[in-house]
Amino acid sequence: MSSGTTVQRSPAASARRAIAVCMGKAAGTGVRHLGNGAGGAIPGRVTLAIDPRALASLAAEIGRGSILVTGSNGKGTTCRMLAPVIRAAGLHPVVGTEHAHQRSGLAAIMIGRAAATGHLRSDPQAIGLFEVQHESFAEIVRHVTEPTAIVCTNIFRGHRADDREPGQVKAQLERAIRWLPASTALILNADDPQVANLAPELPNPRLYFGLADPAHGRVRADRTVDFPRCPRCQGELSYTCVYYAHLGHWACDGCGLSRPQPHVRVTKIGRTGSSSTRLHVTAGTAQSVLEIPLPGLYNGYNAVAAVAAATQCGLPDWSLAAVEQVTAGSGRMERIRVPGHDVYLTVAENATGYTEVLRAVLGDGEPKRLLLGLGECAGQQPDTSWIWDVDFESLTGLAPAPVISGTKAADLAVRLKYAGWLGDGQDRGQSAGAIIETDPVRAVQAAITATPPGHPLWIVSTSTALRSMRRWLRQQASAGSSSARSSSARAGSARSSSARAGSARAGSARAGGARWSRA
Amino acid sequence: MKITVGYLYPDLMSAGADRGNVETIVRRCGWRNIAAAVTKLRLGDKVVPGEIDLIMIGGGGESRQRLVAADLYKVKGAGIRDAVAAGAAALAVGGGYELFGRFCQPEKGAELRGIELFDAWTIRPAAHPARDGSTSGAHADRVFGDLVVRWGDRLLAGFEDHSGRTYLSPAARPLGRVVRGHGNNGAGSEGCVVGSAVGTNLRGPCLPANPALADFLISAALTHRYGTAELAPLTDELEAAAHDATLRRAQQATRGLGLARARR
Repeated sequence: MSSGTTVQRSPAASARRAIAVCMGKAAGTGVRHLGNGAGGAIPGRVTLAIDPRALASLAAEIGRGSILVTGSNGKGTTCRMLAPVIRAAGLHPVVGTEHAHQRSGLAAIMIGRAAATGHLRSDPQAIGLFEVQHESFAEIVRHVTEPTAIVCTNIFRGHRADDREPGQVKAQLERAIRWLPASTALILNADDPQVANLAPELPNPRLYFGLADPAHGRVRADRTVDFPRCPRCQGELSYTCVYYAHLGHWACDGCGLSRPQPHVRVTKIGRTGSSSTRLHVTAGTAQSVLEIPLPGLYNGYNAVAAVAAATQCGLPDWSLAAVEQVTAGSGRMERIRVPGHDVYLTVAENATGYTEVLRAVLGDGEPKRLLLGLGECAGQQPDTSWIWDVDFESLTGLAPAPVISGTKAADLAVRLKYAGWLGDGQDRGQSAGAIIETDPVRAVQAAITATPPGHPLWIVSTSTALRSMRRWLRQQASAGSSSARSSSARAGSARSSSARAGSARAGSARAGGARWSRA
Repeated sequence: MKITVGYLYPDLMSAGADRGNVETIVRRCGWRNIAAAVTKLRLGDKVVPGEIDLIMIGGGGESRQRLVAADLYKVKGAGIRDAVAAGAAALAVGGGYELFGRFCQPEKGAELRGIELFDAWTIRPAAHPARDGSTSGAHADRVFGDLVVRWGDRLLAGFEDHSGRTYLSPAARPLGRVVRGHGNNGAGSEGCVVGSAVGTNLRGPCLPANPALADFLISAALTHRYGTAELAPLTDELEAAAHDATLRRAQQATRGLGLARARR
């Protein structure tokens, strides 16, 4: 065995795994030659078809065990915050995020790191860090059977039909958690009543994280969510403070169950801009101020979840500051520079996500140029009714003349009209100002044309439409940067040269600028 | 002019963003300079006939239905029936529609008594256990997809997402005929109408993309209050576009299905 584990395997089983892993690697090479970037999970599928136990045995070979991060929102960002901390502490994270959150994707990550013998290269400092969708969580824990810790960020009622019954996601997670050994630490969001109360009967060590800055909590609940009932007695919960959606300081009026005191908490949220957040974090006796290059209260939760996981794993206090090195994931306030503009892309596929992203973008009260996208989300086709739970109302007036796109652009336009985003309310239901363009690429072109040069454009969209927009923007970005290199003598001035490139074709954008300043 | 909307259980019965229906009524009144006051009627609050011109209830899963059923029957039922008999309008959607009937037989446990506004009843077939032995997953008989309904000379468009089968007594009047989708129970009828009260499985939420139905309810509410109603027309360009897009999608899906059948 190449690592510290001492599992005895028969020669036949070893050979089978080696063949499975090699076939998976070969499939991976084949897929890469096709070159379209898709099919990342194919090596995993091939390997698992030959040896269904391959994932379990590879996972068991990770020297320092694995951390699984699950929940509805924020899994990926939490992982991206935790990975640099692990690295700073001198360990080697084996990271599986984005497309790895299902069994075959996770297997593909491992196969990429395995040698032709079918084993992971021996590394006592390796630590697995895997983002797992709550739908796949039960399946994953049958393979990654003894994780060091699991992190649960939050539970939101999904838009999937299956999630409609409240408590269902919680029950699903609990069934899986009961499979775990008693040594697996549960790192839980204290501010989410359902997460805080996951499998309360289990003896596993529990570490809670949460926000504790009353200045940022709202007293009244958002209208965007159906609040969960008490996870113990189904009674009504009351909140002294709500940070967003149903996350906050809660207690049950009926049975007295209440938010556990978080061990790791944000005691003060400092300046929050549309691109960064300052957090004062207390973890045990350690206190630190973290400057996160991402906006939004939800990223405060992601950061404190990452710090809690690091604390639980015994990583030194000085490594925690590495949370600041987080980079925006694909579609998480991801910045693409095209000639004339910084474009920020964020994917949002449920009411809470959409609301919080809009709040992060528009929270400073400055009007911004927005492109909003809505398409069918995979697996729940006709149902995009959740847009009626997005709190557009509280942000009315901050996004003059938005561009609306995606296959469901018409539904989104109606939603925005009824939220008072379109028209002036005195026009008997007319809807002035919006540009509606179902085709994502034409929409992003129109949005860039309508954005004054030098101003950023913010895109918030469901994933399918966002993918086409990103592809087109990346093409523009690379075209723009090569022309900038040849035309500009000043090194490192991508911004000024691209602004100049933008002004060359700014006739229509100027008109947009005039509209913009009046608005 | 002013109408009062009684919004039943805003915190408990609003699955599928049915609160958008209330929003639609309020906005469409506002654009016509009609005030629409929304009175939230929670557990324990009575419906006083004469005060409410339009009663609205959204959908909710079985556990939510169980939370409100007794209150709906005991505290509000008679008030709702009297109000509708006196001409008040109502819109009951999904789980709310089911509870406005005679009874609702859930998948497990005792049947829930309805308020008997509609002469209809709902049976929810038991779910088949999933492979891991759990029964809390998707219902095997869940109906989920586009729903298009012929309502007079118009088409109503939306989607449906329910596992209950609603049966109408022979005397009951359906809202319309199913053009695409499942409707009440797969036999061709959808929804139920009594006076100006409408029950339906249409989601989306249903009113924003079906402004004619919204205006029907506003008209009825005004008539209840003032004896007459004259609604100024609105520019419904965006609403029409959303309505047509839903119809087109439903049509394409139907054609796709036809092709698949033909190939087989």
